[in-house]
Formats: sequence, C-alpha cells, structure tokens
Amino acid sequence: MISGTASVDELAIGAPEIVAFGTESVRLGGVTGLSLVAELRRPAREAVLPPGLHPIVPPAMSLSAWDVSESPWGAFSAAFVRVVCRSGARARTFCVGAAASSDDAVAGLRSQFGFPARRADVALRRHYDGVNVTVAPAGESDNGAAAGRGTGPMLELHALDPDPLSVGDLQHVGSMNLAHTPLGLRLVQVETHHEPSRVERLAARIEAFDAAAWGQPLLDPYWVVSCSVSLEDVEIPAIRFVCNPALPAAEGTERVQ
Amino acid sequence: MKFGIFYELSVPRPFSRVNEWLTYHNALEQCRVADGLGFDHVWAVEHHFLEEYSHCPAPEVFLTAVAAQTQRIRVGHGAVVCVPEMNNPIRVAERAAALDIVSNGRLELGTARSSTWTELGGFCADPDDTKKTWDEFCRVIPRMWTDDDFGWEGARFEMPARNVIPKPFQEPHPPMWVTVTTPGTELDAAERGLGCLGVSAAPFAEQERRTKEYYRRVANCDPVGSFVNDQVHTLNFLYCHEDYRQAAALGLPMVGAFSMSNAHLYFTREAYPTRAYQTLGNAGAALRSRGAPNGSTPADDPSVAKGLPEGVGIGDPDHLVRTIRKWEDVGVNGINFLLNAMEMIPQEQVLDSLRLFATEVIPQFRTPAERAARVQAPTTIPDVGAPGALAPPTMPAEANR
Repeated sequence: MISGTASVDELAIGAPEIVAFGTESVRLGGVTGLSLVAELRRPAREAVLPPGLHPIVPPAMSLSAWDVSESPWGAFSAAFVRVVCRSGARARTFCVGAAASSDDAVAGLRSQFGFPARRADVALRRHYDGVNVTVAPAGESDNGAAAGRGTGPMLELHALDPDPLSVGDLQHVGSMNLAHTPLGLRLVQVETHHEPSRVERLAARIEAFDAAAWGQPLLDPYWVVSCSVSLEDVEIPAIRFVCNPALPAAEGTERVQ
Repeated sequence: MKFGIFYELSVPRPFSRVNEWLTYHNALEQCRVADGLGFDHVWAVEHHFLEEYSHCPAPEVFLTAVAAQTQRIRVGHGAVVCVPEMNNPIRVAERAAALDIVSNGRLELGTARSSTWTELGGFCADPDDTKKTWDEFCRVIPRMWTDDDFGWEGARFEMPARNVIPKPFQEPHPPMWVTVTTPGTELDAAERGLGCLGVSAAPFAEQERRTKEYYRRVANCDPVGSFVNDQVHTLNFLYCHEDYRQAAALGLPMVGAFSMSNAHLYFTREAYPTRAYQTLGNAGAALRSRGAPNGSTPADDPSVAKGLPEGVGIGDPDHLVRTIRKWEDVGVNGINFLLNAMEMIPQEQVLDSLRLFATEVIPQFRTPAERAARVQAPTTIPDVGAPGALAPPTMPAEANR
C-alpha cells in the first residue's frame, strides 16, 4: 500500500484556519455543478498527498466548478482542484486549491470547511450544447491577460455534447481539506450531499491548466476520463471527522461531533 | 460442498522480478498440494494494471502450468474479461478449448466485464458497453465450441462463418460461470443458465436472499450454453490453525491488507458516470459487509475498515466447520478461498493451513462415496491405445509429386 510523501509542513503553508467547528450545515441552492476527472502522470502520485492519504492507481485528479444562485454567502461561483485518493479504505479527494468569486464565499469556504479558497474570477457558463469553465486570477478574466497584466487563465475547459444520465449515475466523493483547527493541523473531511435534478455527461477538453497557480506544480491532467454537469442543490454538512495528516486514517481519525 | 482455491496473485511492494516470481511459484506449489489434498477447483482471475492487488493478466498461462503439474483438480479460468478491447471472443474460445484439452477436460470458464477504470481505461474500453459485450460473449463462445460452421452478426461482435478449433475436450463444453460482484448480476447469471461465481463478500442474510432468487430463476432459464450450470460458489479467505488466536493473528491482517489493496483501485463508477456501473464493485460490497448489524452503510468514519465480514474462513477447524455449515444453509454449494495476500503469510504456514483444512474440515462435508470418487480423474481420458495411435496417416508418396 502506498501513501503520500508530501511534507505536511510545506502543505500547511497558507492552509486555512477553522477557529471553531460549526454545527450547522450550509445549503447551496440552484447550483450548476461541473465535475471533470483526469489522469495524472506517475511522478505526481505520492508526491502531492500527505502521508495520511493514499493515492490510487492510476493517479487522477478532479476539477470541479459550481455556479451557485443562493447561499448564506450570496450568489457565487467556485472551482476546486482535488487529487483522487483514499483515506483508509474510503474514496476521497485531497483539495489542493480552490477559488471563489466573492469574498464572502472565500471566507465561508475557508473558515467553515477548510477549503484553501482564494479570490478569483470564476465563470461557469452552460449552453444548450455544452459548458465552459474559466478561472483567472481576480481582475484578469476580461482584458487583464490580453493587456499583459496576467499570465493567462488558471483553468479553461470546454465540454460538449451533453448526454443525459439518471440522477443516480453520478458519484460524489468527499473532500479532505488541510486546515489549522482547534485540534491542530488536520485533514478536515467535507462530505457534500447532492440533490440533482438533471445530470449529463459530456466530452471535455482542458484548454489551459496552470498547476503552479493552483499551488501544486506537479499536477498534469493529461488524460481526460470523464466530465459531467448537473443541476442540483447541495448541502455541506457540519464537519464530523478530522484526520491527522501524518497518520493513516485508522490511527489518526478524530470525531469532532 | 465443493472447495476451491482462488488466485488474484497479489504481489507485495516494493515490486521486483523476484517478488513476482515468488508469488507465482508459491501459488503453483499450493495448487499441487491442494490437488493432492482433494480440493476441487483452482481459479485464477484476469486483471490488468492492478498493482499490488492482482498481477494476473494471463490466467490461461498460469492455469496451463497448474494443469500440467496436477492430476485431478479442476482449473477455473475465472474470469475472462468479456470486453473486446481486451479479448476477442474467438481467441477466448480457442484458448479455453486448448486449455481444456491440455488439462484432460478439467476447465471451468468464468466470464466477467471488469469493474475498474484502471483496467477499462487502460484498454480505452467504453464502460457503457461492457454489459452488452459480456452478454454477447456468453452467447457466442459456447456455440464456437460446439458448431462446426459458426458465424455471427451481433451488436458488438461479428464474424463470417468459420470452424473455430480446437473444440474443448469436455462434451458438450466446459461449464460456464459469471463472476458476481454487484447485486443483480446473480439474476443475469440465472437467466443465462450460468454458474454464480461470487467474488465479493456478502453477509449470510444477503447471500441467502440472492441465492434463493438465483435458484428460482435458473430453474426456468434459457441457457446460453448447451446445459445449465446451476451452482453458486462464494469467495472467502482461508487460514486454518489448531489455535484460533494464532489463526486470527495471521489471518486477519491478511484479510485487512487484501481489502485495503482492493479499496485503492479506481472503480469505474467513481471515475466515469454511467448507467452501466451502479456500485463500487467489490470494494463497495466489502464496506457494506462491515456495516452496522442492520446492514446499513457505516458512518463516514474513515477509520472504519478494521472489522471483518461475517463468515470469514479464518480460525480453528471447529470454527471453520461451523462457518461453512452456515454457508451451506444459505444455499452456497462451493467456496473458493484466497490463501494469502501480498505473501504476508509464509508459504510453509499456508501449506500447513491447507493440509489442516483438508484433514479436519473437508471430510465433514463429504460422504464416503464422494471421498472415494475424488481419487478418480474427473473426466475419462480416451483409450487411444499405444502412443502414436492418433497420429495422422502418413501422406502417400505420390501426393508430394
């Protein structure tokens, strides 16, 4: 069994802080969600994960984006870069980077759930024949890059030819977010509950992915596996479990409520 | 009750040529011992790219060696992945027939469709199609074995008429099975008259429900082959020791390591949204089987991976007899055992476990007549007279002019 080899201390640089574990869930209404899975090249396999998590074979990552109509943080868009992994025997993802379009969403995602979110221009546009997602550093999405102020998008992907699926055909996997918590530096287990009303699978292409801009230069999503888009409501329940990032789940898991 | 041994051929890290060699050759020795002890089957899987979990992509090669080194144990090709990107059905029929001949009619053929993206993606196979191609393979292979002039125009496979040779040694053909990982596949097996080769853990109650429904449906099936193979076998682990505590001390870590390596595969449902894969394969089954007593999925606590499914074949002989009786009671008529995982148990202790099980447990499930029958070859080998009696006639000299 292989485990992550990334330095926990290095991963912890800039990690969000959860001052107190919340007890209430957060409900996101009218969400258009996109999820893309891509295989990674082997050098990234162990190197991007902390020792408490295990890579899968072949290494893979997910790119996801939300366009949210209603939430306690108002309407916002967000994008997440996560490495597919296992915590113990369970399917999980390790969140490497996140971006959100509003300060309130950034603050909520960081302080309540430990997502390493930062402010960016995030756009998810759904058309009758596809979906486009663009993420750019804040203020650079329109003319910034063209004017030479920026270095290009952090993420740009296009997905075409939607093929309807049943709402039960989509599998959602929880996110492990490294954060400073009242229990110390921990992997915070975030389990989102999805209530989709429509799910489609699409053929997608990643036009641009700036791995360094997401905080992990080793990520190289070279082989797209699948892409889906859903219309749904999403609930993010309060945190129940955290894990010591340096220990296997069987030894390092703590219940927080 | 039939008893078999089952090979994934899991290899420990760090990988080395020696580790793979040792895993294969330890397994071959176990097969020779099991043959002499009266075990009924040796099964070997087909998996690709599943590092650590299974280094067995060419089971027909392994099983040919088993057949050559044993006398009576049946060889289970279990299971051939019925996905055209991995196997052409003509080649499956040809290879299986050749193995049946070499083994003197000891072949059982399992069929499957793969549950991991690791494998399907590696061959650029479309997960949406695998159930359909599996169905078509199941229908054409027995006809290739029995028809002298076989052609097919199907949804996923076609061929002009040919005589697919050689024909298998068994008449009319070897028994056929389907591996059952996800609930519902046992119904696919029943409707086609295929044996139910369980490869994932299920609690007694669930196994009983599924087995009962299988037998109900298979009684009225439309078999894809020339006969109905109405058997239900299940997969288990085996570590038998006179001292229950010692059995648990060695056996339980083996189960845990195997289950963990299974959980670390990339299952199709997780990677690729599709109607064709509604569960996480046997990883999902393993987690379900460790759930709360009411069968519900355990909480999302990631540390919950330490428990064991009920009915595991680890313990002293008395415990194993009681456990197998329960499997018998729920309608299972065969159990195939994984003997090791990642070579965690030293080979001598694996062999001791096999011997103890064969001495103390297997006889409890055999009648005197069955015990006597087991010393005979399972298939009668034709009396061909002196060596060379079946040689082709010498070509007349004038034919070369």
